[in-house]
Amino acid sequence: MLKANGINAASITFDSREVLNRFSAAYNIEFPMLSDVGSKVIRAFGILNTNVPEDHKMMYGMPWPGDYLLTPDGVVREKTFLRSYEYRPSASQVLLRHVKDFKGGNTLRIEADMLEASVTLSADRCFPGQELAVALKIGLKPGWHIYGSPLPDNYQVTDLTFDSDLIDEQSMEFPAPERKLLKALGETLSVYEGSVRAIGKLRVRWSPPMPVPFLEAIATTITPGLYQIGGTLRFQACSDTVCEAPQQIKFALPMTVEAGIPPAPRKPA
Amino acid sequence: MDLATKAQILHGMIARMGGGGAPITTPDWLDFVEAQNDGYRTGPEVGEKVPDFTLSDQNGTSRALHDLMGPNGLLLVFSRSADW
Repeated sequence: MLKANGINAASITFDSREVLNRFSAAYNIEFPMLSDVGSKVIRAFGILNTNVPEDHKMMYGMPWPGDYLLTPDGVVREKTFLRSYEYRPSASQVLLRHVKDFKGGNTLRIEADMLEASVTLSADRCFPGQELAVALKIGLKPGWHIYGSPLPDNYQVTDLTFDSDLIDEQSMEFPAPERKLLKALGETLSVYEGSVRAIGKLRVRWSPPMPVPFLEAIATTITPGLYQIGGTLRFQACSDTVCEAPQQIKFALPMTVEAGIPPAPRKPA
Repeated sequence: MDLATKAQILHGMIARMGGGGAPITTPDWLDFVEAQNDGYRTGPEVGEKVPDFTLSDQNGTSRALHDLMGPNGLLLVFSRSADW
């Protein structure tokens, strides 16, 4: 998916080439897995995990885990470091947020009287604990507007939310609306006209990769398989003279949750 | 959480996972996660250039940052280990 969008991938760990070679063969990894034995590059990036004591044989030298999206000349476009390593951004999330004409994902079209909308999830498959991106595009009929924030309580702000047991965090970022004097209403309100594009994030709940009692207490296991992620688009369309009632359009997007990947084979003892 | 406490938790958990010792409880696990992630840093900021490097890949080929680039850039992933 990255390659189709002109972006290469590479990983860096402090493992030896032998460890990486074994891992790469076990999972048919096609991207370069770079060996930073001694953690020189990890230190140069300033992301050596300094919580780990130097005499810790297994963990000393590991980085705080995260991803950088770099421009071809090596400048950071975006980075994602999550506090907890159970949660990871997905490649599709990075793409949907940063690549124009992103190819892939799963799009649903919504038609209403005064607008057409599309909701795209950056992928239709995921692992537990992954973050996906959401894109909302709205095209309004000429002469009509919908509302942004801030807004008096008696109008409906444009909003997209997801409601699923799979999702434990979500956010949407809308562009700044225009402040417009609506003559018929005699009020200046936050509006969107023409087309609107909002981007957001959806986090799929983490699920323990194996049945361990102390993990089950933190997060219930997600059974792999096909799910429907329900969503609601809320808006209120008005023209300069007429206001429609607030609308709530419910929809569902399919999402397949993949089974966790078993640990890589260890070096024969 | 101070460094000495973190060190004690990180050493202790690995010993317990390796067998023997008391069973791990949920609070133990949450402390273990906290000890690893507390005060994490994220390196070069958006808009900054990252340090140049050359490293060997899994096949022993030497790869410099500029050879890794695709036409639209590179997703560079730092991970803890491919061994555990």
